[in-house]
Amino acid sequence: MAEQFVSKASEFKDGDRQIIRLGEQEIGIFKHEGKFYAYSNFCLHQGGPACEGLTIAGVKEHLREDKTSAGLYFDEASMHFVCPWHGYEYDMFTGEQVADRKLKLKKYEIVQKGDEVYVVA
Amino acid sequence: MSSPKAAAKAAPKAARKPAPAISAEPSKSEKAAFLKAMMEGIKPGSLAAQKSAAKKEPGARLLGKVPKTKASPAPKAAAAKPARTSAKKAEGAPKVEILRKISGAAGVARTPESERAFALAKELEAALADGKLDLIQPPAMQALMGALCKVYSANEDSGNRYPILAGRAAVTGTDVMIVCGALLKAVDLQVFELGMWQSWAGR
Repeated sequence: MAEQFVSKASEFKDGDRQIIRLGEQEIGIFKHEGKFYAYSNFCLHQGGPACEGLTIAGVKEHLREDKTSAGLYFDEASMHFVCPWHGYEYDMFTGEQVADRKLKLKKYEIVQKGDEVYVVA
Repeated sequence: MSSPKAAAKAAPKAARKPAPAISAEPSKSEKAAFLKAMMEGIKPGSLAAQKSAAKKEPGARLLGKVPKTKASPAPKAAAAKPARTSAKKAEGAPKVEILRKISGAAGVARTPESERAFALAKELEAALADGKLDLIQPPAMQALMGALCKVYSANEDSGNRYPILAGRAAVTGTDVMIVCGALLKAVDLQVFELGMWQSWAGR
């Protein structure tokens, strides 16, 4: 495992993404609320570009005491990204597939040294 | 006697050179030269060395930065040294290739008014979740709804068109029907009038 230079941290604005190739791997690097997250860009479903789709807050539902719905809402505390091929939705913080948490994208560690961002792979 | 046409046809055939025979296997000297080139690696100062340097430093022009290595009369020694230095450089050089950069929507700067609107929306949603339906009193709701209608309509008219909701999941269909019905009733419009206006105006 070696640290590979990716980019200057100043080139990453909050909400930006970079898709990089490292040998035979493709990695999507996200910057969300000041933190970096990196996952394999190959969707677990059919190998689509998982990290290149929509980023969207998790949709949750308000339930009344009798368990009837009081409406849906965006939960800003959770952030998801969606594979553009068939809509597999992943948790940005863990890489888990939202509908089945047992499925996980390969996660890569990101190291920031000063203004430089490195991926450990 | 051959006709002039036949002579003209025969002339280019005679002028043609026989095609060089394609040998199935290179000669011994060619094989030796190939092996020697493989063992030596990239020769300093050659076009291959320039291309290699340009790949490592994309900003460098092809003929600008060539790895400086001392030319030596002994070819084996000269070939061994640059191979080791280039290997060392390759270890430290980034192997990452950036395929795509995707800008986030968060790059759009929010105005203070937008920030206040976001905060108010969040507060209202939270209150609704807690069952507080009267956080905003009716006159305040009327003023807010009226202002939102006017601002959205003015933007639409001026060509600044955007979806009125962030996504399909933002509100339910029932919510939309209740609000649309109430708005139409407030200005004494019937649903068929809305339909007529939409078909005339091409909306």
